[in-house]
Amino acid sequence: MSDAPRSWIYRYPLLVRISHWVWLVAFFVLVGSGLQIFNASPNLDASDKSDPARRVLAIGSPSDGHGTTTLFGRTFTTTGALGWTSDGMGGRGAHAFPAWTTIPGYQDLSGGRRWHLFFAWIAALCWLVWLVVSAFRGKLRDMVLRVSDIPKLWPMQAYYLKLRAQPPPYGIYNPLQKAAYTAVLFVIAPLVVITGLALSPGIDAIAHPLTAIFGGRQFARLWHFAGMLVLLAFFALHVFQVFTQGLANQMRSMITGWYQR
Amino acid sequence: MRRRLFIASSVSALAGCGPISAALNGNDGVRRALASAEALNHALIGTHGLAREYGERDVDRHFRINGFATPSDAHYADLLASKFARYRLIVDGAVERPAAFSLSRLDGLARQTQITRHDCVEGWSAIGKWSGVPLRVVLDEVRPRDYARYVVFRCMDNDGAGTLYYESLDLHQARHPQALLALRLNDAPLDADHGAPVRLRVPTQLGYKSAKWIARIEVVGSLARVGGGQGGYWEDQGYEWYAGI
Repeated sequence: MSDAPRSWIYRYPLLVRISHWVWLVAFFVLVGSGLQIFNASPNLDASDKSDPARRVLAIGSPSDGHGTTTLFGRTFTTTGALGWTSDGMGGRGAHAFPAWTTIPGYQDLSGGRRWHLFFAWIAALCWLVWLVVSAFRGKLRDMVLRVSDIPKLWPMQAYYLKLRAQPPPYGIYNPLQKAAYTAVLFVIAPLVVITGLALSPGIDAIAHPLTAIFGGRQFARLWHFAGMLVLLAFFALHVFQVFTQGLANQMRSMITGWYQR
Repeated sequence: MRRRLFIASSVSALAGCGPISAALNGNDGVRRALASAEALNHALIGTHGLAREYGERDVDRHFRINGFATPSDAHYADLLASKFARYRLIVDGAVERPAAFSLSRLDGLARQTQITRHDCVEGWSAIGKWSGVPLRVVLDEVRPRDYARYVVFRCMDNDGAGTLYYESLDLHQARHPQALLALRLNDAPLDADHGAPVRLRVPTQLGYKSAKWIARIEVVGSLARVGGGQGGYWEDQGYEWYAGI
């Protein structure tokens, strides 16, 4: 421990803390129920209608006891992990993603859709409230990446890689945090919501361009899935950071708001 | 070995939240809360939009066969053998002029062709060229009464356990310009596997709304006494009645 005096900062107001945990629950439910929905048709095509010639991902079971995953035309045996997996009822079967990753934890498309469409609303409304209130309070300025932050990105990374003794000077959030939060909250998460809407026939009927800009219904489904993978990668990195940058301090600050610097 | 298997399966059951999600999923209060999203989606997206219409080159020449198995009972076999000469589409219920339409009479009412995309709830899509008579033209023939609210489709296919398929639209959806009673697919009369002789096309909603093998159309004031009360076979299994998303 260094003897330098440490200071307390009130880093996360109540609304941010509530939004954070609501998003965690919603993200967990949306990923699980999304995989449930994916399992009903475990193909992703870069096209409007289904088109095997433009298939990017196909998870299947060519015969009982065998699971395969085909990505860009290359087939891998993935028995047990993808294609032929646990069915959540004590056995195994032809399920793309295993039952333990899906909500509900057994094959149930209608249940998966109910959970997904409900928590999509929760996540989106929570984002909207957070955005409006944060903007009103002028809090977004602290976390949105600016042009002036860009030269500080590498020095910050160098500090994390222990190539530099001190981080570059920054405000409440460091430049890498700003880059990650800006990408996730203002680009990826909205894109996941929009692509989810774009793959719906009712939305396509009232807003053709929305479906068309993503390349059609199946393509929107592909972007929706890809966006989920990016959010999952952010989640993994985020949790890694929390564990390595002072777990207690990080958890305390997201529960009580107080962060020790 | 048995013990290890038992432990392994308990761990995997816990990891999958199987029991937790089964309990939550089966809870009436939870189900009602989750179902609130359907009303929001219906209110916001609605059913007034027009589905995109495609060109000939987009058509799937071998349109994917979906839904229940093609009817195989003696009655349907008889209809099929006679090329549906004895088929009559019954349209009755809350209407002023109940009617029984032969295929040629239906065909003579009006003709519309649409090349539209069929979006299955499972996730896949296919494009077909559908021709037939707009549903609203048939409704104008029978004149729904003032208390009429819904149009119920009674079908000839069954789920393998004896329950015949049924679906419904409200009158607003039924009068949508693209709600079509299709008699032809890809320039040929509907074949048995694609819902002959009459199937519905509702391209603004998911595929389960587009009932196949229709025997009767019943106009009703309420869905309470239709099947389990949710308005359709899949709706009674937990799927949304409003299938625009």
